[in-house]
Amino acid sequence: MSAAGIYLRRRITNAGALIFGSLATALGLLFLVWILWVTISNGISSIHPNLFTKITAYADQGGLSNAIVGSLIMDLMALLICAPIGVMAGTYLAEYANSSRLGSSIRFLNDILLSAPSIVMGLFVYVIIVLPMSNMTHGNVSFSGFAGSVALALIGLPVIVRTTDEMLQLVPGTLREAALSLGVPQWKLTVQVLIRAASSGILTGILLALARLAGETAPLLFTAFGNNFMTLHPLDKMASLPVAIYQYTNDPSPAMHSIAWAGALLITLFVLALSLLTRLLFSRKKVSYE
Amino acid sequence: MNDLAAAIAAPLADVQESPKIKVRDVHFYYSGVHALKGVSMDIPEKQVTAIIGPSGCGKSTLLRIFNRIYAIYPKLEATGTVELDGENILDPGYSMNRLRSKVGMVFQKPVPFPMTIFENVAYGIRHHEKLSKPVMADRVEQALRSAALWDEVKDKLKQNALGLSGGQQQRLCIARAIALKPEVLLLDEPTSALDPIATSRIEQLVEELKSEYTIVIVTHNMQQAARVSDCTGFMYIGELIEFGDTEKIFTKPDKKQTEDYITGRFG
Repeated sequence: MSAAGIYLRRRITNAGALIFGSLATALGLLFLVWILWVTISNGISSIHPNLFTKITAYADQGGLSNAIVGSLIMDLMALLICAPIGVMAGTYLAEYANSSRLGSSIRFLNDILLSAPSIVMGLFVYVIIVLPMSNMTHGNVSFSGFAGSVALALIGLPVIVRTTDEMLQLVPGTLREAALSLGVPQWKLTVQVLIRAASSGILTGILLALARLAGETAPLLFTAFGNNFMTLHPLDKMASLPVAIYQYTNDPSPAMHSIAWAGALLITLFVLALSLLTRLLFSRKKVSYE
Repeated sequence: MNDLAAAIAAPLADVQESPKIKVRDVHFYYSGVHALKGVSMDIPEKQVTAIIGPSGCGKSTLLRIFNRIYAIYPKLEATGTVELDGENILDPGYSMNRLRSKVGMVFQKPVPFPMTIFENVAYGIRHHEKLSKPVMADRVEQALRSAALWDEVKDKLKQNALGLSGGQQQRLCIARAIALKPEVLLLDEPTSALDPIATSRIEQLVEELKSEYTIVIVTHNMQQAARVSDCTGFMYIGELIEFGDTEKIFTKPDKKQTEDYITGRFG
């Protein structure tokens, strides 16, 4: 084939790759924008002060205040459970078990946990917490906000383990050598130097985990169950935004649907705010070693 | 046996009586590779000793034995003896804490800790000594002055060290190492990531520091070795080919291989 022929063929291939790549991107973006558009346009017209002041017990005359509070409590409790465990486990993987067989098995299991169906977490917590508690208290405590938090924590945990592990591995080995050559012991190096060097990345992982678990419905169905009244007690059945949305969309009344849309918008905005916060943190505090 | 003794003694002929570091028949192995093959040398006190040689000749490996930093990785093994003031540091009984407070190290790439400039220097001191605030401030200032960095950073001690330029970061790393008041300073290609101006500042600094510290510098830059060092060792494929006064090594080396290397015929 002549040189001109080869050149022409490459140009055609290049144009083809560019066209297909752009189309695929456009297709992906189209659905994303569409979802956002539908959520915002339906949700924004339903935003009403009642949403934040009235509880779900008033049904179509009410709001979502108990679900908002319930979601905040459970998300926060879940984070308090999974963040310390996740960061420590990730640190163990990166700093103590990096090249060992145990380490790679744990990483593999963690990746499975990361992609496990969230309803499985709900059922698991139902069996290990909800049922035993119910048996011990003769039914006084069964479904609870606490059980919901544990189920959510199981969703967030593998995310945090993985990001902590990855972020610590990005810290250059020379930083470890530099600290150790000062005579500093391994634990001090890990806590005072490495975790600090990776802190913005680790924090990003924690916020991503929060964003992930804030939108989960399935793990809460058999654990926190739901509640039409306001409660702050972690051992009560507890309402949450995703479960309330799920229940409201199953209701025939259009008024209920519009409250569900407003709830969906709230979650979306919450997750969006978290994402923006992580970007801000990551770009501002970025520590780079070249 | 006599041949071996003569072979060991020969390269040492030019150096002084009681060396700071006495290296005898050091071998080093990693995953089946025999990286150092019986290196012996005497490193004189309060002088600059340069180790030169082509990439992969084992010069950094040798340096990393002097503070046993290699030991943080599994499956690495060093045999032979390295005596620091007459005590063998390769003896497992030699305290790592003590060794690392006596032997400081500066690496190829400047790696400040993710902390303020002040904390970078204070961090190592704090691990070894409990000092009151003013005493600590004094020690940090002294270290930064010795590293010729004080004037540039004295107004921004509370700023993050990662905001400094590469050359400043490297001098900060030197300050961090000398803040512990070590006796020996190991420099592992300390200027290879720096521009010419920053390089000449570091070389100047090495010149000033040798009145107080025994300095061992690994460099792939022969001109640098010629400029800064008093003694030079030439290594090739895991062996110390020749060791002696820098002037002699660079003007009339005994070995053909050394001559070929410094005249640029290989490497």
